[in-house]
Amino acid sequence: MTAPTSTRRRDGIPDAGPLLQVSDLVVKFSTHDGTVHAVNGISFQVEAGETLGLVGESGCGKSVTNLAIMRLLPKPAGKIAGGRVDFDGLDLVRLSEAEMRDLRGKEIAMIFQDPMTSLNPVLTIEEQMVETIRAHRRVTKQEARARTIALLSMVGIPNPESRLRSHPHQFSGGMRQRVMIAMALALEPKLMIADEPTTALDVTIQAQVLELLRDLTERSQTAVILITHDLGVVAGMTQRINVMYAGFIVETATTPELFAAPSHPYTVGLLHSIPRLNAERHEPLIPIEGAPPDQRRAPTGCPFAPRCAWRLEVCWTDNPSLTPVVAGTRVVTSGAGATHLIACHNPPTTDEAVAGRPLRPGFVAAAPPGVVVDELAASLEATPATAEEVVLMTGEEGPISAAGVTDLPPTPPPPEGDES
Amino acid sequence: MTTGTPAGSQGQAAAGGSGSGQGGDLLHVEDLKVWFPITEGIIFERHVGDVQAVDGVSFRLRRGETLGLVGESGCGKSTTGRAIIRLYKPTAGRIVFDGVDVSGLDGVPLRRMRRRMQMIFQDPYASLDPRMTVSGIIAEPLEIHDVGTGRERRERVRELLATVGLNPDFGDRYPHEFSGGQRQRIGVARALALNPDLIVADEPISALDVSIQAQILNLLEKLQVQFHLTYLFIAHDLSVVRHISDRIAVMYLGRIVELASARDLNSVPLHPYTVALLSAIPVPDPVVESRRRRIILRGDVPSPVNPPSGCRFHTRCWLRERLGNPERCTTEDPALRPLATGHEVACHFAEDVDGSVEQRQALGRPVDPAQAGSRQPVAPAAPPSAPPA
Repeated sequence: MTAPTSTRRRDGIPDAGPLLQVSDLVVKFSTHDGTVHAVNGISFQVEAGETLGLVGESGCGKSVTNLAIMRLLPKPAGKIAGGRVDFDGLDLVRLSEAEMRDLRGKEIAMIFQDPMTSLNPVLTIEEQMVETIRAHRRVTKQEARARTIALLSMVGIPNPESRLRSHPHQFSGGMRQRVMIAMALALEPKLMIADEPTTALDVTIQAQVLELLRDLTERSQTAVILITHDLGVVAGMTQRINVMYAGFIVETATTPELFAAPSHPYTVGLLHSIPRLNAERHEPLIPIEGAPPDQRRAPTGCPFAPRCAWRLEVCWTDNPSLTPVVAGTRVVTSGAGATHLIACHNPPTTDEAVAGRPLRPGFVAAAPPGVVVDELAASLEATPATAEEVVLMTGEEGPISAAGVTDLPPTPPPPEGDES
Repeated sequence: MTTGTPAGSQGQAAAGGSGSGQGGDLLHVEDLKVWFPITEGIIFERHVGDVQAVDGVSFRLRRGETLGLVGESGCGKSTTGRAIIRLYKPTAGRIVFDGVDVSGLDGVPLRRMRRRMQMIFQDPYASLDPRMTVSGIIAEPLEIHDVGTGRERRERVRELLATVGLNPDFGDRYPHEFSGGQRQRIGVARALALNPDLIVADEPISALDVSIQAQILNLLEKLQVQFHLTYLFIAHDLSVVRHISDRIAVMYLGRIVELASARDLNSVPLHPYTVALLSAIPVPDPVVESRRRRIILRGDVPSPVNPPSGCRFHTRCWLRERLGNPERCTTEDPALRPLATGHEVACHFAEDVDGSVEQRQALGRPVDPAQAGSRQPVAPAAPPSAPPA
């Protein structure tokens, strides 16, 4: 049962490279109405023992990235369309299914958002954990059982011996997530991927689980990729953060740097969209207008351009690559000295980042060129309907006007029209 | 309050829906109890117990204000909201809406009152009928209450769509054609259709993405000013509640444990549970995060079928532990009592919370190092108590 693949690093000389290196990863989903461009060529690294946050809204590709690393993309729709994932000297994209299965759990463990769907409801905790341990380690049932008890008490489950024979439904949400953490750490993985581990939990229970997670991974020097939409959670848990938008990494920095000097318009917007508990007074929120793009379209230009207050004309056509915030800096991609990188043609200045909007006199965000029109963004408030839609709606309006509404103009009024 | 042009009915709402005038209380909830019976047996049902979801909640809602109702899942905040709208029949207590006790109303009088209170639901995917057009959804309350002619309703729908920031021409589309934030705007438009006085918003933004949440919050604030609405804003996220509310009620296990102005609650929390709740909320600022120290509450919320004796929070209370487990906490049920101006707390020892190390640490305020060293907060390694098996 020993893996032919994973012993190599342990026996050999530890090399200097990062534990995980994702390079130009592209993930696409084929669906009945087109290809979804979920991840569009992202690169990042994780050092051994490091905690990296992956932040973004639903659909930004943060979970898909990690399913791709684990090779757990839904089949046959999801496909890694390009790039490499190097983990500990192995290219995970090219491993066979059997090799990959051996790696999962043992080298890379995963914690999901909803513990109820990742635990088997008809097996006891003992059966599930002993099975996991024995699948990867040559130990007797008794040894595996003893290890299980030790793990459960480590994650703070009271009376672990008697709880062994419980089924998952007999645990509360927080307790189930503790069991998940115990299972994830059972085989001492080098990397743990936690996908929204506390989103389903109440805030006081979330505090318990996060504290536990930080404690245990620090002690065992496990590297962690923490995926979340909650900027508060990453602020207290991670050393480094990648901000994702529409399948791209738009900003990456060390955690203190990202919050002290957010530099991409999206990050700035996110930070201004959340009410602060510690705000001195009632500060109005500055929302990001519009909605995320439809990823069924191949990205052209900067993915954030349709919602960006800082956009220039070039943003509509040219997608900027990640470059250092301070031009000419040597790029360090991991660790505490990682370089602050953003993908932006026209980054907000420090004052603008604080204010949450452009302050340059006379600056107006560039209007879209005729070709690129984001229908979703266009349908939102204060944005006129696109030409195509006006035509469409006129067509539909026809029968109503014919049915006797005489005072209606033949074409619909602009949305910000007279009524309100 | 019969039919009328849209503009006319708006004028009525602005006038404050008759009754006791602008300044007073719109809603007065007194000792509200909502218990759900637990039964056993199929043919002969026996009543074996009650889920005491809401057990003695009292508060006043002033005209034009926003009261935030915050707490963790199972604390009874949604049940309270639904009982006020009378989606549930209260087990006991009074719900006085603009001078009328609605807790016992039925039939036509209840339906008449319901015109003036509307609800916005959490899940914009589940709360809109997928087989109805957006116009149909928004016009439905108008049809049920027989407001206006067909043409007036159509006009009103267009006006409402524009009010909530949607293109008025999208009325013939179906909910699935809209994103989550847009659907929630449709839900808001439906709630506004009858010009209500009170809107109960039950977790209206928790299903939405962060960047969209701010859009909906701003919309709700704008509409409140525009239509003189009174909000009961129910949410689990204290930072969101603080942002939108004038006053906040914190609930725990069917009771209000602290009621204060939004500013007071966050700067001087006086109930041990509120302090723990504040300390548990992650703040998006690594500097503050590194300075703060969490109070890790032990175990889980007890079952509302069989709540703890005395103070319901005593099983998890850090303050009780620090004070050497006084007997009073387990025997005497603390009433909600006024402490500072307008600040009400249900704790026998609330005075000991103010200025404590835990309170300062939860808020990320500097703590005298000697004091902090001698009085460690609750040990994070403490094993949580067993949940009910």
